[in-house]
Amino acid sequence: MGDYKFAKDKLAEVIGALKDYQVFAPTAVGDVVRFKEVEDASAIKLDYANSNVPPKELMFPETETLFKYRVGGADIESAVTEPKPRLVFGIRPCDALAYTIVDKLYNWDFPDPYYQERRDGSVLFGMACAEPAANCFCTSMGGGPASEKGLDALMFDLGETVYVKTLTDKGDKAAKAMGLDAAGDAEKKAAEAVEKDALAKIKRSLDTEGIPEKLPSLYDHPFWEQFSDRCLSCGICTFLCPTCHCFDIQDEQEGFDGRRARMWDTCMFSEYTVHTSGHNPRPTRKERTRNRISHKYSYFPEKFDVIACVGCGRCINYCPVNIDILDILEKSKQAEVKEAKA
Amino acid sequence: MVDENKLREKAKEVIARDDVRRLIGWKRGTYGFESAPIVLTDASEVDQLIFDPTCVQNPASFVSLEEKLPVPRGQEPDTRKVAVLVKGCDSRAIVQQLVEKAYDRDKIVVLGVPCTGVVDRRKAQKMFGVTSAPVEIKEEGDKYVLTIDGETKEAPKKELVADKCLRCRFPNPLVYDELVWDEVAKWADDDFADVDEFEKMSPEEKWKFWDEQFSKCIRCYSCRNVCPMCYCVECVVQKLKPQWTRRSTDISENSVYHIQRAWHLSGRCIECGECERVCPVDIPITKLNRKMTRDVMAMFEYEPGVDVEAEPLLACYNPQDPEEYIM
Repeated sequence: MGDYKFAKDKLAEVIGALKDYQVFAPTAVGDVVRFKEVEDASAIKLDYANSNVPPKELMFPETETLFKYRVGGADIESAVTEPKPRLVFGIRPCDALAYTIVDKLYNWDFPDPYYQERRDGSVLFGMACAEPAANCFCTSMGGGPASEKGLDALMFDLGETVYVKTLTDKGDKAAKAMGLDAAGDAEKKAAEAVEKDALAKIKRSLDTEGIPEKLPSLYDHPFWEQFSDRCLSCGICTFLCPTCHCFDIQDEQEGFDGRRARMWDTCMFSEYTVHTSGHNPRPTRKERTRNRISHKYSYFPEKFDVIACVGCGRCINYCPVNIDILDILEKSKQAEVKEAKA
Repeated sequence: MVDENKLREKAKEVIARDDVRRLIGWKRGTYGFESAPIVLTDASEVDQLIFDPTCVQNPASFVSLEEKLPVPRGQEPDTRKVAVLVKGCDSRAIVQQLVEKAYDRDKIVVLGVPCTGVVDRRKAQKMFGVTSAPVEIKEEGDKYVLTIDGETKEAPKKELVADKCLRCRFPNPLVYDELVWDEVAKWADDDFADVDEFEKMSPEEKWKFWDEQFSKCIRCYSCRNVCPMCYCVECVVQKLKPQWTRRSTDISENSVYHIQRAWHLSGRCIECGECERVCPVDIPITKLNRKMTRDVMAMFEYEPGVDVEAEPLLACYNPQDPEEYIM
């Protein structure tokens, strides 16, 4: 594939040239960074560690209509549409890697058409991390500040210019549409240096060896309570997780017009598992905390051969009570299986 | 004043008592400017307790967060007390919970922690960035001395302290069984200038402001769950029959949630600021609550969370109550 570059002050022209694409990029409201459709290229924010809300919302929106109906009618109106090709500009390598993990679930026993339409129609232009944040541990999870997994192109911020390395035909086609200049060895060398610097800045790590196999044996272990005792049972860790993918389905009606919609749901809410009878198989925050960790690090790898975590650090950064997933996993390794109730 | 050994000694005495089953306090966090609430059940764990300017969380929230399982037939429920460490602001939550009869006074042991202010993590991160190692903060007069990755740094206290502390009227706990150290002098006052300032905006400007803020909301309910006064067993936004608020996230439903919560907390919010602190998308939630607080004070001369003998505002009636707002 190709090597390209563009001057950073030409960003508006580069984005403007993408007439055939719906372009999404990180934008900021105050200090909160989130991916939005680009209306004005000057609103794009590229100097951030990672977006507050992960770009999973581009494929799996917070709320989306599945179909519409009329009360008393016999037909439904599907909401699956074929959108204009999308280009996600400036996605972090960890969030792109997360897509490849969520793909496994949404393509498993039943391909999810809503998710799949968006995934297939998207071109991902990643931005390598120059300044990883304090709680990034992507290198432990099969990623890295310049990981190419799941991306169509990877960009490196070299100060005044941006080096673009295309990785797929889709990526190359989009790069050509942007009208980029060719890059040479100087840019490649500079990009390598950016990656090396970034790697040295990642301070946190985890050896995942043995964790997926051990967690089920700690099912009734008291160590979970050290964390669940202070858990608020809020949705931060899961809603902001790029691999969490659970949703609730609701029918919403106004007069005779109705829609069936799905919206993010989380295993951290007590109502997530509550039965119609009132019985709740996960009655306390201990069971819910255990489920969140075990699902990512044990149940998901058992089924799909990959841990459902990319080390983006969001659940650590935003947890209001400092429940630190790395701390939990380290403690799980130290926990003695014999202490668990039989 | 701040002497962690004293705090641990007192905590040890309390948790060792036969009639106390758990104690809620603070411990060191795993990185940066974090501390974490901790629930102790044994005297051997008290060495983990700390108190320093990172101890921003309100331990009173965790009293009602505990979910109790049904007691198996033939077993007696554990009715021993819960002990809780509280700063001045936190103690107002205990007062208000007692006023609302959330639990009986003899079910809790309150250890009061007179406090001279806590650090706003957002301000600290802007000034110093975030480190993977925990930061130690000590207060020295009007400045903070921070140990960040082994390096000593300083910052004026007023630049790092949480907004709620800049207007703190209750640095000393208002309800306690014992204080862990001597009371501190009050150093600030609240003139609600921020509410006055906000009210200068036109209705259109205010609507635009809240439209932008509520649009960010992801409905994680961290603000509700951390709130010591949001202790309903079933929150109104969870109800399905009738469904007062839809689950979908959009400006309409998000606004309903936030406005509803502000109403449900009027005459009840004790301004610990936890809702705003925990918000992952920086919604300035306390602006709504402070407006309600000031109106309640002006209209009913009522302030929640200061007097355990008070009646809840919405459960009492005075013929002199103003009613201009009733059509």
